[in-house]
Amino acid sequence: MTKTSLATRDLTIRFGGHVAVNKVTCDFHPGELTVIVGPNGAGKTTYFNLISGQLTATSGRVLKDGMDLTRMAPSARARHGLGRAFQLTNLFPQLTVLENIRLAVQARAGLGWRILRPVGRYKAMTEKAEHYLEATRLTGLAHQTAALLPHGDQRKLEVALLMAMEPDIYMFDEPTAGMSLDHAPDVLDLIAEIKKDPSKTVLLVEHKMDVVRKLADRIIVLHNGELLADGKPDEVMESQIVRDVYLGTATEETA
Amino acid sequence: MTRKMTFGALGVKAVMLIIAAALLFAPFLFQDVRSIEVAARICIFIVLVASYDLLIGYTGIVSFAHTMFFGFGAYGAAIALKEMGPGWNAVLLGGVLGMLVSLVIAAAIGLVSLRVKAIFFAMITLAAASVVLVLASQLSQFTGGEDGITYKVPDLFKPATKLLVDDAGKVVKLFGVSLNGKIAAYYFVFLSTLVLFLLLLRITVSPLGTVLEAIRENDVRAEAIGYRVVAYRTFVFCLSAAVASLVGTVYAVWLKYTGPETALSFDIMIDILLMVVIGGMGTMWGAVVGAVLLVLAQYYLRDLMGAAAEVVSSVPLLPELLNPDRWLFWLGLIFILLVYFFPKGIVGTLMTKGARG
Repeated sequence: MTKTSLATRDLTIRFGGHVAVNKVTCDFHPGELTVIVGPNGAGKTTYFNLISGQLTATSGRVLKDGMDLTRMAPSARARHGLGRAFQLTNLFPQLTVLENIRLAVQARAGLGWRILRPVGRYKAMTEKAEHYLEATRLTGLAHQTAALLPHGDQRKLEVALLMAMEPDIYMFDEPTAGMSLDHAPDVLDLIAEIKKDPSKTVLLVEHKMDVVRKLADRIIVLHNGELLADGKPDEVMESQIVRDVYLGTATEETA
Repeated sequence: MTRKMTFGALGVKAVMLIIAAALLFAPFLFQDVRSIEVAARICIFIVLVASYDLLIGYTGIVSFAHTMFFGFGAYGAAIALKEMGPGWNAVLLGGVLGMLVSLVIAAAIGLVSLRVKAIFFAMITLAAASVVLVLASQLSQFTGGEDGITYKVPDLFKPATKLLVDDAGKVVKLFGVSLNGKIAAYYFVFLSTLVLFLLLLRITVSPLGTVLEAIRENDVRAEAIGYRVVAYRTFVFCLSAAVASLVGTVYAVWLKYTGPETALSFDIMIDILLMVVIGGMGTMWGAVVGAVLLVLAQYYLRDLMGAAAEVVSSVPLLPELLNPDRWLFWLGLIFILLVYFFPKGIVGTLMTKGARG
């Protein structure tokens, strides 16, 4: 696990006077699932946005397999194997479930510029999309409009889109947000499945501590935009500093 | 792998067949000059609206410069025909040059402003279109100014041309219609617009077409899964500009006249917008229905109202209301009702009728 797939070096973004992410340096490795925790406003989603390119860093660098992605558009980073799912469901609402997934398959296959043959003739693409439908247990819903799906299925489709991109780096931003307890395991099982592949790097932002305990190989803690702690789940959860800023405040709130 | 056919979709298909047949046989079905004018104008506007729908309905780009590109194609052919005399060379050269100008300007506008907010892009296109309109009326030594340009078209399209002659050397008649240059001109319009329309239709169902829909639905996510949104937007803007330009050339050849009124004015832009809204955005069939209805209304609503006023002449007030001079009022009223009852346009609304689940 010495190989580094994704790395950030002094990654920083400033909005006016506010430093949302401050000099975060961190390495991520294939076969490792890293959970990013931290209180609200700690900069977790902003950190994700900097890595996947929705935001561009003020300073610092994002590297994937040694290649500098810092100035690349999100689409270019996606083509270099960086896959990102979103906290708020972020689908193509008026398209069907199958069409949603097929778009991701098509992007991966680099067929978006094909102009003359109808898309239905690309059988391999549709079959692949159907494969991911099945993998995410959405098969029966293939021809449903995405916007009309129940929330839980939309979250699953969100994961399906990411899987269909077949990235090297999977980034999940609170994949179970707003899901009922019955449905959350479905999505977590999918993530556990991805984790089994030793060539994949998984980053996960998550609040639910049981999820963190179950899935994490490693935990990093962000606080006020800074990297506060980094280590094995048990070590990090036990460390005093983390208890103070994160778990500590949580207990005070409940008390 | 298509969605299930609905009753509405079947109805739309049937109407499309009827419209296609009517346009194909128009010179034989409606044997007066005005009807042929209307049929040709419908063909032209179907393509013009379809190419605009590729922008606004499929990709979600709002542009007000569509008539500008239409005008480049029309003026290209007009100026070439005027300077070089009637001939296919002039049509070809003018058409290609007009299209090149369209492509260059579309690419420039696209690359500069398609990455910014939609409203800003719309304003840029509005400004560009206004500048071109002013230039066209100011540079009168090239464009004929407000008067426009009148010119001769290739001999094939002269009314005196005999396409087929019998033994006596007279022009052959088919179903009572002389097969002369006017017929050739109509079929030139019909076939070239048909080819352009089928090309657009093909594009909308291609992989690229699905990317355009994805960009309309959620451009952030389209970018995140790996599509270069700016590149796709710029490409489709150029493509629709090129098609508008080509159909402008066809229209210039048909009319034998090009001026600000026929090729550049904002009235045409408004017509296009009305047609897109009436027919339904994001469906090529909507362009067909919108173009047919609005062109028919523009040409025949006045006649219809005149006739209606006659019928009710004994009733007080009604003949006044139905006075042909008030046709724009009725057109506006019909438009409001259409938008009210068909919020997604006629085709867009019908397509979902009869659908289950």
